[in-house]
Amino acid sequence: MEIKQTALAGTLESSDIQITLSQGNEGIQIDLDSSVEALYGPQIKKVITDTLAAYDIENAKVKAVDKGALDCVIKARTMAAAQRALGTVDKPNWEVL
Amino acid sequence: MPRYRKRWQSFMEKNGITGFAPSDVGAVEKTYVWFADDGDIAASGSIAGNVLKYVAVCSKYKNGGSLFNEVVSHLVSEEASRGRFHLFVFTKPKYVNSFGYVGFKPLGQTDQAALLETGTPGIQDFLQQLPKFDSGITGAIVMNANPFTKGHRALVERASQECDHVYLFVVQAERSLFTFQERFALVKAGVKDLTNVVVVPGGEYMVSSATFPAYFLKSDQDIGQYQAKLDASIFLKSIAVPLNITRRYLGEEPNSKTTASYNQMLQAVLPPKVTVEIMSRKTFNGEVISATKVRQAITEGRQELIEQFLPVSTAEFVKAHFTELKNRISTEGK
Repeated sequence: MEIKQTALAGTLESSDIQITLSQGNEGIQIDLDSSVEALYGPQIKKVITDTLAAYDIENAKVKAVDKGALDCVIKARTMAAAQRALGTVDKPNWEVL
Repeated sequence: MPRYRKRWQSFMEKNGITGFAPSDVGAVEKTYVWFADDGDIAASGSIAGNVLKYVAVCSKYKNGGSLFNEVVSHLVSEEASRGRFHLFVFTKPKYVNSFGYVGFKPLGQTDQAALLETGTPGIQDFLQQLPKFDSGITGAIVMNANPFTKGHRALVERASQECDHVYLFVVQAERSLFTFQERFALVKAGVKDLTNVVVVPGGEYMVSSATFPAYFLKSDQDIGQYQAKLDASIFLKSIAVPLNITRRYLGEEPNSKTTASYNQMLQAVLPPKVTVEIMSRKTFNGEVISATKVRQAITEGRQELIEQFLPVSTAEFVKAHFTELKNRISTEGK
């Protein structure tokens, strides 16, 4: 699936993550900002990549500002950003859920 | 807003933001205020275009930064809902880290001020689309070229002779008689024969005077100077170093004080990594060639000066659009 517009989901508050998705052309490029990056960086990136893969998004620039979000939160925020970016907010992808 | 204006202003003043010039306050689109349980203002932040302004959190309610994060978070979502995903903030150097924790990256910093950005497309995207030169001497020129004159041409020619590669950045901000598209096209046409010169749009990273808020500087400070210093540091850190630029060419400025002090600031900030080459102005019959004089000539309808000061490509454009340009001057005051 192609990203139609830049989209943002999530906040910068504690235990949350803010995800910005925009068009890219070199696979999934993740720019992650997290105070726990050394420990959980790979896991956070994996959750984001897997969630985008479930939407068949192959190319995207992802900016993620993490404030200690749990995996379920990361997934939820990535999904919200993906649906907004694809312009499919009114058609949730139940398979991913 | 008018109801809270006074309280908001005194809250800002208590938190060290003291400037409320009409140009700063007037640019604000929306201000958000957070109240504490006792009715006091706890925090506030504003948006103006893609710039976050007047961000302040009362130290009493800082709560380990969580309120600050909430404020920035809210401003970022509000900007996103307006379709703006690339944001800037000007702040004091001591707050660079606070903004860093919420994803902002510093573009340049002086002892007085810092400029940070977040979101996409950012500086990396800007740099990525430019050609890169790994060998030889790379020079750079930044010009508004309003419009491109024989003086500009002489400066580019010199840089082209002395360097292996030259980046020619054209200021993108629309505050000039000639639109960015016109200026860009005329620069391109004017240097077409110089094959080692690449003409590129300056993006949002060159001469950011429109967005620079003076409010966190004391009123007796020379705003222009601090702005020039910040601008020079942005060029050095975010443009020159990543692109291997080691020379910056400037035109000497005998007539405009602002530009002269801007040039001085570049000379103070850029070396030793980037050497600054200043070239004296080209003259015609003893008269200094300048774009300002060209615009005056258009206002006064003096066609002869146009041919003397402008290369053929620009002169043809100006002659073909003479009436239109004149109208722009009188209606838009440019």
